[in-house]
Amino acid sequence: MPNSQTLKSITDLRDSLANSALETTISKILEQTEKSVISNVESALNESLKTLDDSVPKLEQEYDKILADGKKEADKIEKQIIGSADIEARNKQLMALEDAVDKVFSKALEQIANADRSGDYSNLIKTMIEEATQILGTSEITVSTNAKDKDVVQSTLSQFSGAELSSDTIDCLGGVIVKSKDGAMTFDNTIDARIERLKPLIRKEIASKFGVGE
Amino acid sequence: MTAEGGVQYSKIAEIKGPLVIVDDVENAAFDELVEVETKDGERRLGKVLEVGNGKAIVQVFEGTTGLSIAATNAKFVGKVMEMPVSREVLGRVFDGLGRPKDGLPDPIADKFIDINGEPMNPEQREYPKDFIQTGVSVIDGMITLVRGQKLPIFSGSGMSHNLLAAQIARQASVIGTQDDFAVVFAAIGVQYSEAEYFRRSLEESGALKRSVLFLNTADDPAIERIITPRVALTVAEYLAFELGMHVLVILTDMTNYAEALREISAAREEVPGRKGYPGYLYTDLSTIYERAGKLNGKKGSVTQVPILSMPSDDITHPIPDLTGYITEGQIVLGRDLFRQGVYPPVNILMSLSRLMKDGIGEGSTRADHGEISNQVYDAYSRAQEVRALAGIVGKAGLTEIDLKYMDVGDVFENEFLSQATDENRTIEETLGILWKIVSKLPKNEITKIKDKYVEQYYKEE
Repeated sequence: MPNSQTLKSITDLRDSLANSALETTISKILEQTEKSVISNVESALNESLKTLDDSVPKLEQEYDKILADGKKEADKIEKQIIGSADIEARNKQLMALEDAVDKVFSKALEQIANADRSGDYSNLIKTMIEEATQILGTSEITVSTNAKDKDVVQSTLSQFSGAELSSDTIDCLGGVIVKSKDGAMTFDNTIDARIERLKPLIRKEIASKFGVGE
Repeated sequence: MTAEGGVQYSKIAEIKGPLVIVDDVENAAFDELVEVETKDGERRLGKVLEVGNGKAIVQVFEGTTGLSIAATNAKFVGKVMEMPVSREVLGRVFDGLGRPKDGLPDPIADKFIDINGEPMNPEQREYPKDFIQTGVSVIDGMITLVRGQKLPIFSGSGMSHNLLAAQIARQASVIGTQDDFAVVFAAIGVQYSEAEYFRRSLEESGALKRSVLFLNTADDPAIERIITPRVALTVAEYLAFELGMHVLVILTDMTNYAEALREISAAREEVPGRKGYPGYLYTDLSTIYERAGKLNGKKGSVTQVPILSMPSDDITHPIPDLTGYITEGQIVLGRDLFRQGVYPPVNILMSLSRLMKDGIGEGSTRADHGEISNQVYDAYSRAQEVRALAGIVGKAGLTEIDLKYMDVGDVFENEFLSQATDENRTIEETLGILWKIVSKLPKNEITKIKDKYVEQYYKEE
């Protein structure tokens, strides 16, 4: 039968063996965990490096796209600003030109209105009446004119049989309105009407003096 | 232009709809311009439609409302209707008869041109083959527009054709050349809000300085609509053939034009043709559409994009039907796509640009353009078939390849077709998206593209 001392040493040995097995197990577990953690960290690192590597071209692409879009937008805005400014400047120029043309026109009309009715003027009236009778196709006409030209027209009408001067005067710069006696046809050959018809050409002529449309 | 004016007649026999019949008229000419004076001294323009037996039938552009037989005078001006033209018309806004509508004076004219134009000598015509970039992917990529072509847009009431028209007007450009480019935009019988949208849209984008706008709104007399496309084309021809510019003419909406023509025809008691339109509708439309083209020895070109809304979306209606005979293809907007919220809702399966093949490829756009376009057309057509099949058997009954085609259909509509109204895509971007669509398919499904292009551009996802 073992004595108490032997029993104690057996217990000690058993405890020591148990401790050592536990320690081995713990260290084994620790080692395994460490390995797995390290492997996980490594794979995570590799994965993130790969993701980073993969995203570089995508980011570069995105960066380029943002830059290109920005450039496009900037170009668009630049075009808008330049376009609007160009149009505004052009419109101001047009208005200034129109003002100048109007002034020339008014001056010219004033000169025509105040022109001397003697000399060649009666020839002009004669031509105007001839033109009108030719276009209307009849010599049975009534001629109207303004108060200023009445005398000249009256004396010219003596050369046109069938023509008579209307007692009513009209408001115009000069010239005549010729009407067939039946009232069906009228031909406006006043200076005003002739100017009106040629206005686009006269405007062009005046504008060319300002260096426009040459 | 001469100083001699015309004779004024005061014997009005009859006023019938937009027509005034003048009695005892001698020496009037067909198409001669007439100034009709009302009792209040208001002057309206018209033109002679018929002369004979001492009578002249005058079509009054601004309508005959308020005219009376007793107090109306008709002055036969002695010339046909002319449009004053010069470089100064660029950046200007005119009404349907070519009168300034922007508060500015009449442009100083370089020339006065008969609005009926001169017919192009067929022998002098040059075959159109240069690409116009509209910045709209579906047009540039699959229904390419070329300089000198006439390519109409067939739309329906309420659809987004006006947005598309304005976008094309803002964005269109010619690439690979320094030649000037201009847009002539004619709005025919559009709502006031639409006319304002066109004007604002061009103004704000800065495109107005290279554009000329003719605006005939819905409340303007219908008869003016007969003149609007003609004055617009007169300006376009001047810019193209006298100033050497490449001009894109957008005419919207040609249905309103044809209806004005029907109104006159009915007033003249002519024998009506299909749906009451005159029998000469085809001939009349051709006098407008045939004013597009290029001429040998001239630098410029006139390209036309007429837009017409098909009544009840009916493509067999006389207007789209006869238009289709004259033009070189068509862009058809689809009601289904429009309802899905797709913009621009172009139904490519019904659309076609007959001159596309000559305006694309190496030296124009890119060598693979034609083939990639054909492949996508084919794939989208297959996608539509698969969608129809899925409607019957359900998605679960589809094969893997069918599902890929469905995917192609979705990407096509969502990424290629759909585009913001202010998004201006280059041809490179457009072709990039086409390749993205094709890359949804396995390589063995790509049968219309040469291997070298597949190697170069295919990117499997």
